[in-house]
Amino acid sequence: MSIELRLSRASRIYRPSEPLEGKIIVKSPSSISHYGIRLTLNGSVNLQVRGGSAGVIESFYGVLKPIPILKKSIEVRPSGKIGPGTAEIPFSMILRQPGEDNLERFYETFHGANISIQYLVSVDIMRGYLHKTISTTVEFIVESDAADLFERPVSPEMVIFYITQDTQRHPLLAELKSGGFRVTGKMSTQFSLSDPITGELTVEASALPICSIDIHLLRVESVLLGEKIVTETSLIQTTQIADGDVCHNLTLPIYVILPRLLTCPTILPGPFSIEFKACIVISFQSELSKLHSKSDPTSPRLWRWKLCHLNWFGQDRLIRTETTVTKMKMCI
Amino acid sequence: MEFKPRNYNAQKEAHALPLVRTDSHPLSAPPSHHRQVDVVDHEHNDFFDPLRGLADNATNCREDVQELESTSSEASSQLPTREWMSFKRFLMQKFPVSKMVSISSMSNVIMKGVKVAEKSLTSTHLEELEDPEKCAEDGVKVVTRQEYISRLHELKDEINRAWRANDRVTSLKLAIKVARLLMDTSVLHFYPTLFVLSMDIMDMLGDMVWERIKWKAEFAEDGTRLFSLPENFQASDICSDAKETCNNWFCKIGSICELLPRIYLELALLPCWRFLVDQPEDNLQRLVMMMRGLSDPLASAYCRLYMAHCAQKLPRSDTGYLVQCVNDINIQLMRIMSAKEMTRRNSTDNKRLLFTLMEPTIEYIMKIIFKDASKSQVSNVLVELGSRRNQVELFGSLQCISMVLHHLLKELPAEVVTSNAMEILHIIECSNDYSSDQCLNYRLLGLRLSERRSQMDIIHDVVDKVIQVLSQNSSLDEYLKVVDAYVDIVLQNQMDNHLNTILGGILNRACNKAVAEDELASLQTILMKLLNHFKGLEDVFALNHFLEILDIMHGSSRSFVNMHILNLATRNSSISDPTTIQLLFEISQALHDDLDFVNAKDDDNQPARLISRFVHMVDYGSELERHLTFLVECRGAFGNLNELKETLVHSSNCLAIKALKDAKKHLSFIKSCIAFGEVTLPSISAQIKQLNLYLETAEVALVCGLVSHSDGLIDSAISCLLSLDFVDGSRTSTDIEGILSAIRKLFCLLIMVPGNPEQGVTYFANNILALVNSSSWMTPAMRTRIFYTTLTLTATLSQNKLPYHAVHGQIFGNDLLFFGDSSYLHELVSLSEFVLQNLVDSIQKEPSPAARGCIALEACNCIASSFVVSPEISQICSELIETAKSCLSASDKYLQSTIKFLDKNLRAPVVAVSSISV
Amino acid sequence: MVLVLALGDLHVPHRAPDLPAKFKSMLVPGKIQHIICTGNLCIKEVHDYLKTLCPDLHITRGEYDEETRYPETKTLTIGQFKLGLCHGHQVIPWGDLDSLAMLQRQLDVDILVTGHTHQFTAYKHEGGVVINPGSATGAYSSITYDVNPSFVLMDIDGLRVVVYVYELIDGEVKVDKIDFKKTTTASHTAH
Repeated sequence: MSIELRLSRASRIYRPSEPLEGKIIVKSPSSISHYGIRLTLNGSVNLQVRGGSAGVIESFYGVLKPIPILKKSIEVRPSGKIGPGTAEIPFSMILRQPGEDNLERFYETFHGANISIQYLVSVDIMRGYLHKTISTTVEFIVESDAADLFERPVSPEMVIFYITQDTQRHPLLAELKSGGFRVTGKMSTQFSLSDPITGELTVEASALPICSIDIHLLRVESVLLGEKIVTETSLIQTTQIADGDVCHNLTLPIYVILPRLLTCPTILPGPFSIEFKACIVISFQSELSKLHSKSDPTSPRLWRWKLCHLNWFGQDRLIRTETTVTKMKMCI
Repeated sequence: MEFKPRNYNAQKEAHALPLVRTDSHPLSAPPSHHRQVDVVDHEHNDFFDPLRGLADNATNCREDVQELESTSSEASSQLPTREWMSFKRFLMQKFPVSKMVSISSMSNVIMKGVKVAEKSLTSTHLEELEDPEKCAEDGVKVVTRQEYISRLHELKDEINRAWRANDRVTSLKLAIKVARLLMDTSVLHFYPTLFVLSMDIMDMLGDMVWERIKWKAEFAEDGTRLFSLPENFQASDICSDAKETCNNWFCKIGSICELLPRIYLELALLPCWRFLVDQPEDNLQRLVMMMRGLSDPLASAYCRLYMAHCAQKLPRSDTGYLVQCVNDINIQLMRIMSAKEMTRRNSTDNKRLLFTLMEPTIEYIMKIIFKDASKSQVSNVLVELGSRRNQVELFGSLQCISMVLHHLLKELPAEVVTSNAMEILHIIECSNDYSSDQCLNYRLLGLRLSERRSQMDIIHDVVDKVIQVLSQNSSLDEYLKVVDAYVDIVLQNQMDNHLNTILGGILNRACNKAVAEDELASLQTILMKLLNHFKGLEDVFALNHFLEILDIMHGSSRSFVNMHILNLATRNSSISDPTTIQLLFEISQALHDDLDFVNAKDDDNQPARLISRFVHMVDYGSELERHLTFLVECRGAFGNLNELKETLVHSSNCLAIKALKDAKKHLSFIKSCIAFGEVTLPSISAQIKQLNLYLETAEVALVCGLVSHSDGLIDSAISCLLSLDFVDGSRTSTDIEGILSAIRKLFCLLIMVPGNPEQGVTYFANNILALVNSSSWMTPAMRTRIFYTTLTLTATLSQNKLPYHAVHGQIFGNDLLFFGDSSYLHELVSLSEFVLQNLVDSIQKEPSPAARGCIALEACNCIASSFVVSPEISQICSELIETAKSCLSASDKYLQSTIKFLDKNLRAPVVAVSSISV
Repeated sequence: MVLVLALGDLHVPHRAPDLPAKFKSMLVPGKIQHIICTGNLCIKEVHDYLKTLCPDLHITRGEYDEETRYPETKTLTIGQFKLGLCHGHQVIPWGDLDSLAMLQRQLDVDILVTGHTHQFTAYKHEGGVVINPGSATGAYSSITYDVNPSFVLMDIDGLRVVVYVYELIDGEVKVDKIDFKKTTTASHTAH
């Protein structure tokens, strides 16, 4: 005897305004008597805090109470009997009642480090006390209504940046500090999830040869814990835009496609928030590192193999005004 | 026995076919097309037969496909450009790799290859992929080139296998690994090979993705075809599902951390942009910009090359992005050149190697830029390249890297080159760096300008300028390389003063040094151009310094030019100018002295042939004595050439005949000619040729009335035949036939030779018959043939009037000398009887029945025509016919016609039955 | 209509530098279907030149031919005619009709083409025709040095042959022709 929930869409993506449709497929060699078949929708934000990232006392470690988004249950079949063989029971359930003004609550599906937003549909065949209830659960994905996309047009925002030895707060190599460097450019800060981060960057001067320039994409998940905010920042993607000591005064493009499984629209602070940042990391080749690497004199790549110094540049917030869906698995 | 009487003249008159003078005949019609006047028009050089071109390409293509497409990708709808195929092969061949390749930690794909293949789970791949450091191993590994290559082939197979198993993620991840290999440029020489092999894989993946998305667009999930995409589909024709998949691919690729593999993968998938947007070429601009982030010059150059290749798969693409590429390469190269030589990587030698490796990429990109470019596009390209150049000045005084300029110049349309020649010249002047020799650019400009006619004033300015620049250059090699390219222009435009300067310049730079191999090659082509330009050799010889330059050459190049000169000299009719003869004689001597007699084979000894031709072609006109002196000089000078001795004998014989024709009074001169032949003949080593030349000289002597000379020569010919005896038994059948023919010819000659009563009139014939009996190499068939030929000889000699006589009035034929002499006739009859006796025996000795039958018939024919019918003769004839019948089939044509002939002869001797009516 | 060029005894370059220019200008590629050459060309260049006139080239061996692989005799069939080819220096006595007739019987040909005497001749004899095209360059021969350059062009059309004789006399090309037919029914009734 088996039970399966098959959603009408292979991608399992639904918008809040759409009905969730599908079939319950029951296979059994003999007939089954039951007290009713129920379908339950469940949407919630699950929060957890790991480690003392924000200097929070260790006792805060653990799972916080989930924030419910949606809970609905209907009976698709009253009590009765399912004959032997394969039975298909179609269903359709509306996610959001029209008129219900809870758009903000229908966050898009997201699976992060501390925060996950999940929508589940489950079916239960109740068979009284003597028999176990037969049930199964499937996750479906919620993405924002397409209609909303057009309500708020994207206004492209660019920040202009300079990075020099003086803009850095962390210690730099002496030769870099004295010789100096200057990297300038601009980068977009607001755009659709389906669009890449764009911008440009120019190495104007550098006392030391550059080893690599990478764009780090960071995700910042914050959870309100009592009066404190616990924040976890994780590196979700590194994209190299310069490999080696590039020509000075040549403009390099910044073009970063967002990792679809690891991002979601920015969620502004409330009980929790999800934000994104990009860092420009410039690594230099230094004489010092050469000394280090001399331990391996046979290396033919000696000239290139370097210890890198990270230089952090200011924290640009990425604000998503538009939404798109993230899927658990991409089909390629 | 009685010889059949013959009246040759009457017979000929009776049978001669009547001639009628005619004005209309098959060759009288004017030729359908007059040959075009021989204009050397360089515009025609561009033309080539389209059919031939196609066929050539097709064959090339086939080879390429066999070589490179070992595992053909799943049905590729994209154009697998033939050029790309041959270009890839060219790359592999141009940069062969040493056996060992050292592999840095980056290439752990290669090192761990086998292990990777064993793990079937994608998870292992995933780990490796996302954290290459984790799998990186310390130190350097060395693998053989073959191992590396076979590992790449394995990877290709793995990608294919994973794809077929619907494990596309693995395919992608493996492909990324391959692309990552291209980040390693540490073994410079290996890079092109690595590139070619990896590109094969990239292209394959690109094709597979293309096919998959196309399938998604055309088929429903259950496999039913929804519709078929036209060639020129729009993004709107694609269903959202296919688009989604396509988009996912680009997202996957976008998440690759490293820049280089990310670019390569996107390039491989470039055509797939067509499923998403209608202007996929917009992405090229971004990709070009992204490539600026690749600081490794080699890696970025090849990456650009791959882009040029992939972009051609798009339906239309502007070449603007490639121009940008060239500009970026230019900047990068300038940076390398200005970099201080601090590390090994920066040493000049290494840089040169780097340039060599990068050159094909520039060449290919330039080719693509100017392929099918219209005029306006070309000028756009030039403007764009030009505007950049100004910016480049920021980086130094260099204007354009000479290697880049070189390939630009190579691809520019000819009309652009000609109309901008001075500007180009200026740029060449300014770009003097070690990426490629400046003189090569000067040279190239010359070659390009020669392609089509251009305005005189421009050409004059350019040549003036180039000659002026060259005058500063003291290197012979560079001087020659440049001059070589301008010689044609100078010649065509009759710039005689420049030609003088050039030749003088060459001589100045060459006179005090040993001319090197390369320089000889250039000299050779220059001299060849001069030789081919002028109508007559005299004009070339008259050029200032030409002969001096020829003198400074040596070795095979000099021989080559000398041979060409001789070839030109002997191509037309005779050579009669004494100065030219003298010069050609000296040239022949030089050629002769350079000949390698040890290695030269007689068969293809071109120099010897040419010298012989030259000697033949010499014609001193009426100065016959001078001509004979010349032949004597030649005999002294070219003693080593066998072939030439034959020529000398032919020439002296010809000279004798000429003298005879002229006035018939130079008897002493004719004697000198014959004597010259007599002296020369014994040293000829080829025996059959010697034999024939003895006979020719004997003929000539006879025609000239020198009976004693001809007797002596015939004697020599017979001893020559005798000496054949000693030679090995490995005579070929053509040799045997040749000897037999020569003997028969000798018999024919003997008909004219006055018999010597002291020696007996059959002296020579007897000598030959003696030879026939003593020579072990002679076959029965050959003996038989000589025997019956002897019968014909005696029958002919017995006639009251011989069929022909020596033309010389003072020589009487045997018919006059021995008219009515019964002992003469008796001698002939007794010889005939002797021969007849031997004849039948020798026929029976022939082992092969077919040959036996044949010679029996030949003999029978001969006997029946030579003798009056008598019982004895009839007896012999019927015996021979019986022999023939026993050997041949009754239906044999020859047998039948011989029987018919005999019947006729027996009945009525002179009935000619003609089946030909006039 | 088939055009067969018959020529021989050029003796280039031993006795003549080249074919007469007037002949060369008449002989253009594409007109002639077959070339039969009796031999004594003597060098490869002449062979190559003839090849340019017509690729179907048949040559027998003269005693001075550089190429020794030419056969002593050769036969070929063109239309209704069987042609025989031989240089002729080996036919004793040179140019003798009876001897040539023997060769013709042996080769079983309708038309026998031979050379060597450097004199144009054309005879009908017993069952066939014997043609000697002379020397194309006017080279001296074993018998005479007074030779006019000549060659022969045969126009074979069904059972009819028109033989054109081209002879260079005092710098002018003179053309004569001979017309003959082959009768398929051999006329044995004559005797």
